[in-house]
Amino acid sequence: MDIQFLSAQLFNGLMLGSFYILLSLGLSIIFGMLGVVNFAHGALYMLGAYAGYTVCYIFGQNFWLALIIGPLAVGIIGMVLESTLIRRLYSVPHFYNLLLTFGIMLAVEELIRMIFTPIGKPFDTPPALVGSLDLGFIVFPKYRMFIIFVTAICSGIIALFIAKTKLGAIVRAGTDDSEMTSALGINISRVFTLVFGLGAALAGLAGVLAAPVQNVIPDMGSNILVETFVVVIIGGMGSILGSILGGLIVGELITLGVVFWPPVANVVIFVFMAVILLMRPRGLFGRAKFFE
Amino acid sequence: MKKSTIFLSVLFLLVVSMAFAAEPVKIGFISVLSGPLAPIGKSEENAAVMAVEEFGSVLGQKVQLFQKDHQYNPGLANERAKELYEKDKVDMIVAVSNSAAALAVSDQAARHKKIFISTSAGTTDLIAKNRYTFKYNYNDYMLATTVGRWGAQNLGKKWYTITSDYAWGHDLLKHFTAALKEEGGIHVGNDMVPVGTSDYSPYILKAAKANPDVLVLLNVGKDAANSTKAAVEYGLKKKVKIVHALLFELDIKGSGIETFQDDYVAASWNWQSKNPGAREFADRYYKKHGDRPTFMAAAVYSAVWQYLDVVKKLGTTDTEKVIKGLEGHKFVDMFANPGYIRPEDHLQVGQAYLLKVKKPDQVKEKEDFFEIVGTLPAEKAHPPVGFFGRKLQ
Repeated sequence: MDIQFLSAQLFNGLMLGSFYILLSLGLSIIFGMLGVVNFAHGALYMLGAYAGYTVCYIFGQNFWLALIIGPLAVGIIGMVLESTLIRRLYSVPHFYNLLLTFGIMLAVEELIRMIFTPIGKPFDTPPALVGSLDLGFIVFPKYRMFIIFVTAICSGIIALFIAKTKLGAIVRAGTDDSEMTSALGINISRVFTLVFGLGAALAGLAGVLAAPVQNVIPDMGSNILVETFVVVIIGGMGSILGSILGGLIVGELITLGVVFWPPVANVVIFVFMAVILLMRPRGLFGRAKFFE
Repeated sequence: MKKSTIFLSVLFLLVVSMAFAAEPVKIGFISVLSGPLAPIGKSEENAAVMAVEEFGSVLGQKVQLFQKDHQYNPGLANERAKELYEKDKVDMIVAVSNSAAALAVSDQAARHKKIFISTSAGTTDLIAKNRYTFKYNYNDYMLATTVGRWGAQNLGKKWYTITSDYAWGHDLLKHFTAALKEEGGIHVGNDMVPVGTSDYSPYILKAAKANPDVLVLLNVGKDAANSTKAAVEYGLKKKVKIVHALLFELDIKGSGIETFQDDYVAASWNWQSKNPGAREFADRYYKKHGDRPTFMAAAVYSAVWQYLDVVKKLGTTDTEKVIKGLEGHKFVDMFANPGYIRPEDHLQVGQAYLLKVKKPDQVKEKEDFFEIVGTLPAEKAHPPVGFFGRKLQ
């Protein structure tokens, strides 16, 4: 096995991991803060791709505009969902919101099917990013490089935002004890809406980014949801670092599985998850007494 | 009571009972009319409705069509078939996509001793399954063999396959490698890929490493689209030719013709074919529904038409007589020129087509996506009689 082939595959794993990172970051923050297992996350990812498609359709294949408007639109949709529906179920056990978000997922998918038909929509790679980049040790498609690059920047910003800003501190405090945080005079419900919007926007961003390399179809979200949950479980519920590391591990595991032992490529991540759960029941970076 | 009144009432009774005796021909149609695959099912439904309307009356009455949705679910298909045969008393069921669903309907047909013409499922298990089942249109052996034989002669010698990892894919791979070997091609590698894989790039890189002349994608729908997209992205498409087992107009519309341009695919029909009335059928369909019929739709149209033709000739819908009439039935229509239903195993055979996807600037009309680059005669494309070791009973 030559180095070029292997490193190209490793980069592939990195790119696949990028989608998982963006998705699980949002899922993890929402769970950590709101205690909501958001089954609609896949649908939000799909909405991102369709928002991107719509922007490109209206503004003549302007991918860069889609990259900005897509996540914003999905973020706003997320905030509306939180403040109209999801909020109402915070006081009842977790699984009510699980059912609600699952229902939202089905409804949104069906709605998109009605508007855009069940057939996929074509989405071109932006012209500036067509072709491959020769880095000497590896030849890799430019657009895939771009995905890895954007994800790295985004996860850096999110990590900094949570760790260094005042709002980030509120989010962290709210994650630990939301009642105590609101007792300190912080409008926690507005922060909840904002956090849900942020998670949704990240899913939307992943959707726009995925549109050129994958099929833009109504069930693209439910396809990726399972792996995303695996990432969150491996990384630890509510942990930013866990999401990033978990995303990378799952992406690489799937890709290397294909290279070395294709028949088990799809099972590897679940086996890994089981092993992690046996050794560290809360995931790699999960904390004790957290929603337990 | 006067004699004449008695005579009149007897006559009246006779007329009434005769009218009841002459039941209309009833056809049941089962396909997927909701969910992601609905566009294909709808195109079949449109074709069935058109066939019934355009054929006109049979046995002095208008033909009745009962459409049912099985949502691509074998269990539901089983229920629908039961309803159709028992409650609606249909004489024949047509279409039924999804191989497991078609096999279930075939069992219902045998149980009720009624006819089932399978046009929309590919499994070869339907061939010679029972004497009530007719396998129309394409089958997996035909798709794989057409690609293998024609491809090995015309596209190159070294072949790499990427196969969807379920019964359908395994079946295709088996028949494909057999055909390839017979024509002197070399199979340099294969990957079994789970259905619904979104990132095909690791497989594409593996395929590129094997340096084949041709890459065969034994997958369908979004898997076909995702694998082709990855091949385009990694520049593999510049070096090798890509052949699909199944590719619909809908897939091309979904991903854009740029993705699929210059790819090859096997088919049992295309509206560009020179069969008598093919173009006219496609134009009528286009006028009514705004797009072009898939080969699935054309097969449903032809199957309904040929069934009605046999019933009309025989003057009865009696199952046994119609089975005898369909066995050895030779016909020329928009779908097959000529078409033939083998009496030994109830397989409808016709020539197979090799299509090539056009470049975007070659598309002159709406959905003018394919050009026909080759054909394979029926006896080369279809399995020989007795190939699967089953006899009709």
